[in-house]
Amino acid sequence: MKNQVTSNGSQVTGKSFAATVAVVVTLVLWTGAVSFAQQQPIALKGGRLLTVSHGVIENGIVVIEGGKITAVGPASSAKVLKNAKVIDVTGMTVYPGLIDSETSLGLTEISAENMTNDRIELSDEIMPHMHVYDAFHAESELIPVTRLNGITNAIVAPDSEDTLPGQDSFVQLAGPSAAEMLLVRDIAMPLNFTGAQRRNESWEKRKFPETRMGMAAQLRQAFLDAQDYQQRAADYEKKKADAERDKKPLPTTPKRDLKLEALLPYLQGKKPVVLAAEGPSDLETAVRLAQEFNLKIILNHVSHSRAMLDYIASLKVPVIVGPIYETPKDYERFDAVYSLPAELQKRGVKIAFASFDAHNARNLPYQAGFAVGFGLPADEALKAITLNAAEIWGVADQLGSLDPGKTANVVVANGDPLDEKTDVKRVFIAGQEISMTSRQTRLRDEYSTK
Amino acid sequence: MCRNTTLSRMLLLFTCVGLTHAALAQQPAESAHNDVVIRNAIVMTVTHGNVKKGSVYIKDGKIAAVGESVNAPASATVIDAGGKYLTPGIIDSHSHLALNDDVNEATSPVTPQMMMMDAFDYQDKAIYRALAGGVTTSLLLHGSANMIGGQAVVIKHKYGAGRDAMLFPGAPRSIKFASGENPKRVYGSRNEMPSTRMGNFAVQRDALVQAQDYIRSWDDYNAKVKRGDKDATAPKRDLKLEALSDVLRGKLMVQIHCYRADEFLTEIAMAKEFGYHIRAFHHALEAYKVPEKLAAENIGIATFADWWGYKQEAWDAIPWNAVMSMRKGVRVAIKSDSDDFARRLNQEAAKTMRYGGATEEEALKMITLNAAWIVGVDDKVGSIEVGKDADLVLWDGYPLSSSAVPNKVLIDGDVYFDRSLPGYGMPRYTEGQ
Repeated sequence: MKNQVTSNGSQVTGKSFAATVAVVVTLVLWTGAVSFAQQQPIALKGGRLLTVSHGVIENGIVVIEGGKITAVGPASSAKVLKNAKVIDVTGMTVYPGLIDSETSLGLTEISAENMTNDRIELSDEIMPHMHVYDAFHAESELIPVTRLNGITNAIVAPDSEDTLPGQDSFVQLAGPSAAEMLLVRDIAMPLNFTGAQRRNESWEKRKFPETRMGMAAQLRQAFLDAQDYQQRAADYEKKKADAERDKKPLPTTPKRDLKLEALLPYLQGKKPVVLAAEGPSDLETAVRLAQEFNLKIILNHVSHSRAMLDYIASLKVPVIVGPIYETPKDYERFDAVYSLPAELQKRGVKIAFASFDAHNARNLPYQAGFAVGFGLPADEALKAITLNAAEIWGVADQLGSLDPGKTANVVVANGDPLDEKTDVKRVFIAGQEISMTSRQTRLRDEYSTK
Repeated sequence: MCRNTTLSRMLLLFTCVGLTHAALAQQPAESAHNDVVIRNAIVMTVTHGNVKKGSVYIKDGKIAAVGESVNAPASATVIDAGGKYLTPGIIDSHSHLALNDDVNEATSPVTPQMMMMDAFDYQDKAIYRALAGGVTTSLLLHGSANMIGGQAVVIKHKYGAGRDAMLFPGAPRSIKFASGENPKRVYGSRNEMPSTRMGNFAVQRDALVQAQDYIRSWDDYNAKVKRGDKDATAPKRDLKLEALSDVLRGKLMVQIHCYRADEFLTEIAMAKEFGYHIRAFHHALEAYKVPEKLAAENIGIATFADWWGYKQEAWDAIPWNAVMSMRKGVRVAIKSDSDDFARRLNQEAAKTMRYGGATEEEALKMITLNAAWIVGVDDKVGSIEVGKDADLVLWDGYPLSSSAVPNKVLIDGDVYFDRSLPGYGMPRYTEGQ
């Protein structure tokens, strides 16, 4: 999958060369047209570059121009434009903006205050026509808090108490408004099969689907209905064409069904479903169901599926791991979840981390760091919150590493990106240096002087 | 790991390799007579700096010597730390683990007679998982549904040792108070009092007034008895008021769940009005707004490193809270309040080094000695000093980092967790025992 990241949010997949060029032009227009655009070229000089794609460069340089990275290499290698602003980052570590592969950023402000939450529509379990972009609150106070720790991009997903809660958006954590921050509006669809989607809360409130059997049957029916809907649409088109050709009365236009319509790109394999399962039986049931309809899969969580590591690897699909803080089952060893990323990576599985949070999304890199303590190589850990994530979400041509041509989402910090002690000093998003302030820094400053 | 057992001593064995884990698991706690020396460690004492290539000699469950070289008898079991970091066991000053969800008796806002001890589920694996994260002592508190929740339990994480062996000997009694959103949400949602902060404090004040009356009635009775009044009848014992009387008599340490700056001030005023002392504010996310007020009363805080925004009263939380408060003289602990965070309090403490620049020792103190003070056991644990309990963690990696993992955890000188062992990594535990 390759997603063209556009300013108007539409997704272009497999279009013609001309269309691609048009998108690039749109991008340029965006970066040129809005006040957020970077004006003066910037050179970050003297830092330790963690390129992710081609190793570590000591005493390196990153040149940023027009919102893009234009050069990456040893400090001596790149010629810096005369009008460039040179920033000495000697002693600092420079790395690509981090990508959080599942958050609820922009869907919540204060967890316990319901009027500030737009996390999930619980009225039905099959809600693929819920679009995160319709609720994404770009001005959320949580977003500056998050990006101050070097997280520049995120998947925003609805909560997981529906089997099909809606469609995820891929966002950039800075921009003039939601329109520009929503880089890919409908990027993927969660398919949740963890058991938490059962409507078995209490004896009084129970309703269908009360069991996993019910969940599976309901999902299968939804995809069958969508197949049928697709077929009817095709039949109509054919009848319509025939009628036009024969100059006969046109057939009645079929009624649109937003729910079923939303499932079509997934049935057609154009976009991936993010399949969430925890234990072995849920995993197998859900994968079998997805395979039945030829869905393209990204696995999510698999926290209690240690017995299935080889099976997971055999599926040849990426896995969003974690949260690494998921509590093991009582029969599991203390590190059953902690060591899962390393075990999957060892088997050649492409992994990415996610915070699965909003307020604490800033702590994403520490999950990766924790996995290092349990055997994941440090470079693979960083990759799992940068390039792997970009590849999984189809935006690796734009994001995920320090490479010329990519969007200039660049972080400057005073140490290991995966360590809690490291202080992020500068963050560039689309080449623009963002202000290192948030509601929290303002409170800190206000009370520091009292 | 080789432990010094009675058996091995009798047979004059230098190693206990021959002992199976199953056999070890049958052994009772031997802290009363252990003899262990940990060599070649970077000893982070917390109170007197780090000792590079340091050793700790443990005798009968206590730290007997600390230094570059210590005198240990040849009979002592040797643990070669291989240059790893050794810290005191982590102390969690706010935990709800092992309570089997019996955290709140939320049927009345004042339930001081609830004894956590009666709900303590000593077989809860959460105790083990926290142990594997380096926690050796926890203060198990009631929840915050009630203004006065009940009396706490202090445990050592000797998982598998049995219920009574896990209770911290000699730990003082604590009682949990709460304020703010939780009580008003719980009772307000039932259209009962309290449903406002005014109601919260009125309920609390009323309970304390009743306790004053109760003390008076007992004082009167005792005075009559002393005068030889044979007709004196003892007041009826009331468990609730008896517990509150102990608050007023200073026999219970008061631990208050409290978020907002204004509520700290109200709680302080009420404590003064009724003559008790507040040991610590828990959560205390707005301590940075009034740190001097807390420092002046010698009230500690048990707070989160960076958790925020989960409710309205956590909206002004900032990750600099711990260090800003500490710099103004407040004794600060970082606590878990969660079975999850309890497994990685070292990482939470490391955040204070970034947000506000706590030193290594200050950060470590927040999960050891300062936490011990809040629990009231700082004379027994919380630092690596001669005479203290040998509750120690040997770390793979630098403890104040995201990738640090406890290699071994000792409590009272016995190894309770050893990462290198198969299964659960607990030499003293057998499943199903």
